[in-house]
Amino acid sequence: MFDIGTISLILLVAMLVLLAIGMPLGFASAVMAVAVLVMKFGPDLLFGRFGTGPLNILSQRIYGLMTDYVLISIPLFILMANLLERSGIAGEMYNSLNVWLSRTRGGIAIVTSIMAVIMAAMSGIIGGEVVLLGLIALPQMLRLGYDQNLAIGTICASGSLGTMIPPSIVLIIYGLITETSIKALFTASFLPGFVLASFIIIYIVIRTQLNPSLAPLPQPEKGEPVGREKGILFLTFLTTLTAGFALVLFLRAAFLTGTGQNAAVAGVDAITLGTPDYVWKFGIVLLLALALIFLAFGRDRLRISWRMGKGLVAPLVVIGVVLGSIYGGITGITEAAGMGVVAVALIAALRGEMSFGLLWESVKRTLRATGTIIWVTIGATALAGAYTIAGGPTYIANTIIGAELPTMGIILMMMVIFLFMGAFMDWVGIVLLVMPVFLPIVLRLPVEEIGMFGDLNPRHVAIWFGVVFTMNMQVSFLSPPFGPAAFYLKSVAPPRISLTDIFKGFLPFIGIQLLALSVLLIWPPIVSLFL
Amino acid sequence: MRAVDSVRTVLWPLIFSLSLSYVVWSFPAYILRFGPPNDALALRAAPAVALDLAMLMVTAAALVIGVIRLRPGVGEGELKNVFDRISLFLSRVTMLLVVALVLVMLYEVVLRYVFERPTLWANELSLWMAGFIFLLSGLYAMQQRTHIRIYLLYDLLPRSAQRLCDTVSALLIAVFAAALVWGSYNEAYAKLMRWETFGTAFDPPIPATMKPMILVVIVLVAIQAIVNLIADWNAKAEIHTVVDTDEIETVINTVGQQHIEREDTRHV
Repeated sequence: MFDIGTISLILLVAMLVLLAIGMPLGFASAVMAVAVLVMKFGPDLLFGRFGTGPLNILSQRIYGLMTDYVLISIPLFILMANLLERSGIAGEMYNSLNVWLSRTRGGIAIVTSIMAVIMAAMSGIIGGEVVLLGLIALPQMLRLGYDQNLAIGTICASGSLGTMIPPSIVLIIYGLITETSIKALFTASFLPGFVLASFIIIYIVIRTQLNPSLAPLPQPEKGEPVGREKGILFLTFLTTLTAGFALVLFLRAAFLTGTGQNAAVAGVDAITLGTPDYVWKFGIVLLLALALIFLAFGRDRLRISWRMGKGLVAPLVVIGVVLGSIYGGITGITEAAGMGVVAVALIAALRGEMSFGLLWESVKRTLRATGTIIWVTIGATALAGAYTIAGGPTYIANTIIGAELPTMGIILMMMVIFLFMGAFMDWVGIVLLVMPVFLPIVLRLPVEEIGMFGDLNPRHVAIWFGVVFTMNMQVSFLSPPFGPAAFYLKSVAPPRISLTDIFKGFLPFIGIQLLALSVLLIWPPIVSLFL
Repeated sequence: MRAVDSVRTVLWPLIFSLSLSYVVWSFPAYILRFGPPNDALALRAAPAVALDLAMLMVTAAALVIGVIRLRPGVGEGELKNVFDRISLFLSRVTMLLVVALVLVMLYEVVLRYVFERPTLWANELSLWMAGFIFLLSGLYAMQQRTHIRIYLLYDLLPRSAQRLCDTVSALLIAVFAAALVWGSYNEAYAKLMRWETFGTAFDPPIPATMKPMILVVIVLVAIQAIVNLIADWNAKAEIHTVVDTDEIETVINTVGQQHIEREDTRHV
């Protein structure tokens, strides 16, 4: 009925109006899907006969989404994060990390960042993470007289890493709607995520070394191991961990060999770290570690270091289960998430924290979060389907490509749109509504013009853009006026710290995030390093 | 939560989900007994017998009793009418499904990797259950008013204008539900009557159940949206924040229970 240019314009305006009046995002998209079909086919064809017609496309799209196996990982990862939040695993991890770094300048800030990375590798959502760090680390930093801005910025910038470091729900949704391999997205985002985390830590170290008054050291505790002895204790602890992991992998390889599951079959990829030769490899590592512990370090050190570090064991086990399941070729993303839930539940049970109430509350919150995320996805899928049938993405891509703009100019423009939208809208909305339009454009840009150094593998463009997107979202979590991290921190910070103070503390960290983003833009092949 | 309370919370949703599973699984029997003549289906199933009818009764009874005895949990607000109660009861059933989903997955992984005897049914059962979870979670989110909205402008408006906005958005949700039913009714009905299955070894009736379920749930969500509109009509304006206060409270409680250094910062 209308041409696609008119439809696109009406769609954009109507969508903005519906969002402005506070209509739920998912339903606004769903209604606009109907509107697009009406504008494309006209009401006669659509509503001529009850029970059939082009509108059926919408329910087919929804059905396709509802029967997508990967989508199941979302409620499971959310459940895992909820269980983690309710158990004491995170709190104990903080204490353990703190013991090792208590005599280091800026130690608590560094501990906060490291803890955030570990938690990010266990779950893929923010909010809870910022609140948790704000409750545990903020009072301690303020009490010791840390610079307030440094403390605030560290907590929020690190706490937002959850969406950057796998498993990340943002990347799962991105992979789903753009049909990109989620495992590849996870692998690709690893390095940029760690780059960002290390930028944060380097910033803390440099600031506190230049100006020690920003981060005063705590009074040494009586009988606390210091200097060289502490280093040796830490080595002991690392060796113990190595022994533990070697034991597990040894038993696994031995089991696989015993049952003959790992017998080499031509054409089938060998099981990662599970072929027969790994039995003796891990056996040797295990024996070496044990020898080191008992002959070099001694039992006393083993006992002390274990007491100091044992809070780190549970998180490492959880990460091992989830990431090990994905990368060990054992299971897919969905089953890895399921095993993560089981692992956290078991650990909480071993710690004596598991109860019906805890489980029920976690599931309840999971259901709520699932409903909000999935139904935006449902609405956006319907809209994307309708818009694609109307020829929208192709039209827009042709228009942009036809305008002969410089490649990096287009990409920078997209970054600005992401950052601007990120200040007002949840990431779910952006990835679902904007990606179906943006990604086709990016895929048609000349790949050799993307970035400044290095050549991005043409097959990795969609992956690269997904990582770039999550990096953008890092900024949006902190950017005023609506950066959610600030509001989460405000809710648990002492009343004298105002929202303005918090955003002020963010400034250098937003700079760090933009720096990490520009690394990605200038040198895109960084995403391909592990692929 | 005390043990008695735990039992009270899950009892009726559990009975309902178990009996409903039976009913759904033997649904062709009910079609043959109560539906229009269906020769193709008659080759695959027998009409419902006394046991089937009894299970149907149990399901209905569990639904009614469960809805009546339901009590909202922490942070779920008060229930203003029967639709709220039904939505919340269905959410309890869905929560049980989430737990079941994890257990099915665990069973499958253990069987496949430890005993090398993968099941034929676990993956597809997960898929089937997850579809129901996804759909019904939206109803719960609607009842709890947690669907993602942008309150930027909305919060600035006077309450009367907010009412107008809410009315427009509830009506448009109803329009979407109507449009979806309009376009998909025939296909959903046909798949249900044919009892179309997944075409695999386990062969669950995912198309036969999920297609109609999409329409049913979207209609329920639209009803809930209108019910919300009426229930909130006289509510006072509130300022919405981007944070989830519930989640914050949870974390505060968790951390509070542990003996972590938490000095009062006022002494600084």
